[in-house]
Amino acid sequence: MKIVLPGDEILDRPIHMENTFVENNKTYTAVLAMLHDDKLIPLEGLWYPKVGDKVVGRVEEDKFSIYEIDLNGPYSGLLISKFVKSPLLVGDIIEATVKEIDRYNTIILYKSRKLYGGKLISVKPSKIPRIIGRNNTMLKQLIEGTKCNISVGANGYIWIKGNNIHLAIKAITKIAKEAHTGGLTNRISDMLGVKNGETTTNS
Amino acid sequence: MEKPQLIVNGLRLDGRKPDELRPIKIETDIIKNASGSAYMEWGNNKVIAAVYGPKEALPKHTGDPEKAIVKCVYSMTPFSSLEEHGRSGPNRRAIEISKVTKEVFENIILVENFPRSEIDIFIEILQADGGTRAAGITAAAVALATSGIPMRDIPYAVSAGRVGDTVIIDLNKLEDNYSDADMPVAIAPRNNEILLMQMDGGLTREQFKKALEMIKNAGKVITKIQREAIKKPYEDLINKYGAKYE
Repeated sequence: MKIVLPGDEILDRPIHMENTFVENNKTYTAVLAMLHDDKLIPLEGLWYPKVGDKVVGRVEEDKFSIYEIDLNGPYSGLLISKFVKSPLLVGDIIEATVKEIDRYNTIILYKSRKLYGGKLISVKPSKIPRIIGRNNTMLKQLIEGTKCNISVGANGYIWIKGNNIHLAIKAITKIAKEAHTGGLTNRISDMLGVKNGETTTNS
Repeated sequence: MEKPQLIVNGLRLDGRKPDELRPIKIETDIIKNASGSAYMEWGNNKVIAAVYGPKEALPKHTGDPEKAIVKCVYSMTPFSSLEEHGRSGPNRRAIEISKVTKEVFENIILVENFPRSEIDIFIEILQADGGTRAAGITAAAVALATSGIPMRDIPYAVSAGRVGDTVIIDLNKLEDNYSDADMPVAIAPRNNEILLMQMDGGLTREQFKKALEMIKNAGKVITKIQREAIKKPYEDLINKYGAKYE
């Protein structure tokens, strides 16, 4: 395991991956990342939309036949009104799935669900896998420990509702900050006072 | 003011050797709302750099359907300097530096990954003592590296100059004002590509070669400081808790 910085060579053969670029038949990392057995785990990175990603967003504009959704990035999401059960208002928070990405990078969403009340926070998208954890362990622990409703979007938006919002935000900030360190699940369970159901450490 | 003697007994006014850099200190992640940020002290220069984006290009017609546009704002605070730089608001000089800085980062960021979007870079000079455009580029490169925006390299910039027959590096304000040549250069260290080169005054062919050589040597030092600053917050936590992947 080592930390690599933008422009560092990671492979001597050309492989096109996310967060890398190829030059002179060699692969270089384009972001600050950890290199672990040829696997590049970004420490800081952006969200590259993929079909099937679950996202959380805020309704930005109501264009009668479509809703424009703010997804914490340069490209907004589109939600076709006729597939939405109840009408949405500008400012509503929704959870949805990426259906399609068109050639103009517009993200078309479906399977939307309105999230009532609560608070929307944003973290760096590269921290999201750790907040969810392997097999949802971390997220389950967060929900159990804070008794909050939490919805995590791959785009970096997190929706929280409940009485313990401050504790939840504190825990999420801690996870985001220490995402690359080991034994984090244990530290979070200590912080939230939940019994640790995880069998292996450093996962 | 009469021209001061800039080199006495082989040493410069602040006691440095001709090829000696001023001390550099960089700290990252100082502006929480930015995608990436850095604070830098380079001798008496104090610089804050912040990077935002990529976000939707506004107004919309400025967006490029093939790549992201980079916007850069260099500005000096009204209290940054004793001389005429102290006026607030953009002036001819600030607009020029913003433009050349923008061109440095357009060639470093993988702009083709984000069509129709915009990346904003802000450089604020809190205290100025010569070589602020070099300090600004060096600090902005660190801010960009901590932002997660994909880039080809971490560039550095430093100025070289000439006093009489002596080639010197990293000019401070007095040397900047009274030397016979001043040449700020920005370089991508991986393949030594030159991203910025400006010059005031004149150098002979040999002096130019020597200046470039000195800049590349100084670049090794600057690059090392930049890389350590970027890694530091992560390594501190790894030292405390251990890494996730062993």
